[in-house]
Amino acid sequence: MRKLLRTVFAVSKVFNVIAAIALTLMIAITVIDVFLRTIGHAVVGAYEVIGMICAPFVVGLAIPLSSWNKKHVAMDIVVSRLSSASRNTFYIVTRIVCILLFLLMGYNLLSVGSGFRTSGEVTQMLHIPFWWVTYCVAIACFVECIVFVCDIIRLSLEEK
Amino acid sequence: MNEVAIGITGIVVLLLLFATGIELGFAMAAVGFVGFSYLVSFNSAINLLGRDMWDVFSSYGFTVFPLFILMGQIGFNSGIAVRLYDSAHKFIGHVPGGLAIATVMGAAGFKAICGSGAATSATFASVAIPEMERYGYDKRLSTGVVASVGTLGTIIPPTVFLIVFGIITEQSIGKLFLAGIIPGLIVAFFFVLIIYTWAKIRPDLAPRSEKATWKERRATIPEVFWVGCIFMVVVGGIMMGFFTPSEAGGIGTFALIALSVAKRDLTFKRYVTSLNEGLGTACMLLMLIAGSTILGHFITRTNIPQLAADWIVGLPLNRYVIMLLICLVYELGGSIIDDLAFMVLATPIFYPAVLKLGFDPIWFGMVVAITVMIGIVIPPVAICVFVVQNITKVPIGTIYKGVCPFLLALVLVGILLFLFPSIALWLPSVAIK
Repeated sequence: MRKLLRTVFAVSKVFNVIAAIALTLMIAITVIDVFLRTIGHAVVGAYEVIGMICAPFVVGLAIPLSSWNKKHVAMDIVVSRLSSASRNTFYIVTRIVCILLFLLMGYNLLSVGSGFRTSGEVTQMLHIPFWWVTYCVAIACFVECIVFVCDIIRLSLEEK
Repeated sequence: MNEVAIGITGIVVLLLLFATGIELGFAMAAVGFVGFSYLVSFNSAINLLGRDMWDVFSSYGFTVFPLFILMGQIGFNSGIAVRLYDSAHKFIGHVPGGLAIATVMGAAGFKAICGSGAATSATFASVAIPEMERYGYDKRLSTGVVASVGTLGTIIPPTVFLIVFGIITEQSIGKLFLAGIIPGLIVAFFFVLIIYTWAKIRPDLAPRSEKATWKERRATIPEVFWVGCIFMVVVGGIMMGFFTPSEAGGIGTFALIALSVAKRDLTFKRYVTSLNEGLGTACMLLMLIAGSTILGHFITRTNIPQLAADWIVGLPLNRYVIMLLICLVYELGGSIIDDLAFMVLATPIFYPAVLKLGFDPIWFGMVVAITVMIGIVIPPVAICVFVVQNITKVPIGTIYKGVCPFLLALVLVGILLFLFPSIALWLPSVAIK
């Protein structure tokens, strides 16, 4: 169990590193684009590289580690007043709801990506295919499901 | 069940789901998905889920969030707040309540680069409170002022709150930024006035510190100058149409990195910390927006926003009374769930009514911002108070007592906004034609 937790945490961290690189790249492209634009040579396709490629990586791949570190905003003033057993029950039920939700999201993102792939959709200016970006975000959704499973495992380990 | 009843049931289920402790963004997505499945079809709902997620994640407009959030994190981790506080301390530390006033001025300056209220409170809780304690300041005053200055993060640009509001209501972020400057400065001015009066009446609460020499004061000016420059580039650039808000975020972040590296304040480790913190917050925020987008499709299908607008407009009340009631809903909702999350949830429902009542959307943004500023320092969900309590370990009741006088300032600015809307609308009207 602990090995699974370590592995999932490591994978989430790797995803987060990719998201961090994408964010840094986003800043670099923006600065270069604005600078070159002032001298009349804007970077062609900067807008679409930032929007269609960097942005999904920044947000999508940061999801698993954000969940692992409990960064998402939640309302705990009600559950914090419940007994430990009730709180844990609610926690497990909500994790299951989240697993189902992200399974559906991941599955549908794969469908969206397949749609882009079969229709040969590319970015307007640079003609870069972006179906693979959708696949990456879908994979992040599946990793997120495993993070929720790990949440339940962590809870049971804490109880022991 | 008709569509409206389904919509209302969905909202009730959503609130119940919030109470289970589930992440708010995920709850909105789940309810939106189930509701849409019920109203339309499972296949349409599943398509909506993936498509909305992709649209939010790949939207160029939403890249503004990670960029501005990272800018704030770099400002937070590179110690700029400490030097801004130090500068204000050198100039006005010797007047009654000087250190508390320096906290307000330092925070207002820091806000020019950091969009987070909680980060502002956290920074000044670590920097200003020990200093005020050293001079024997009363804990109510020291912790109260630090918790209250966090509220400035909601209105003084660049602020994540106004960006979210601008995107939801499709208003110009540049105009919203400009509209926030004067009310934000008035709030800061009132904070200063309250501290000064409090310290004059009870000098034992805020003993004076020693007076700095002009040489010491002059030495701190470059720091303020550079932060001012970055602020002017970011807000001025958007205002003049040189760049989009997203580009402004990128340029501001880069300028701050360059400044911090030049001053040897930003190591690679600190940059990585900023990235990790920034990504976590940006991801949280965009999941909230993705969830509300999915929920929004379901709610729109039920026709609730339109019906709510017609009902609100038809109320036999003065439109300003209706606006006060809307503010009360924001206040109550924000007290139960997170203020930003409630704003994301409630604004699409109330916004059509606000337009029908003939209010200016930018002015409405400022009114909601002031309402939220009050919400983040009053129980039960008072994020800035919790941050200060967590860092200082001062009893929460003491901090609340300290916050009370500053609440007065926020209420007063709210009243002023109602009486004189031009406080918010004048600057955007002259700066952006």
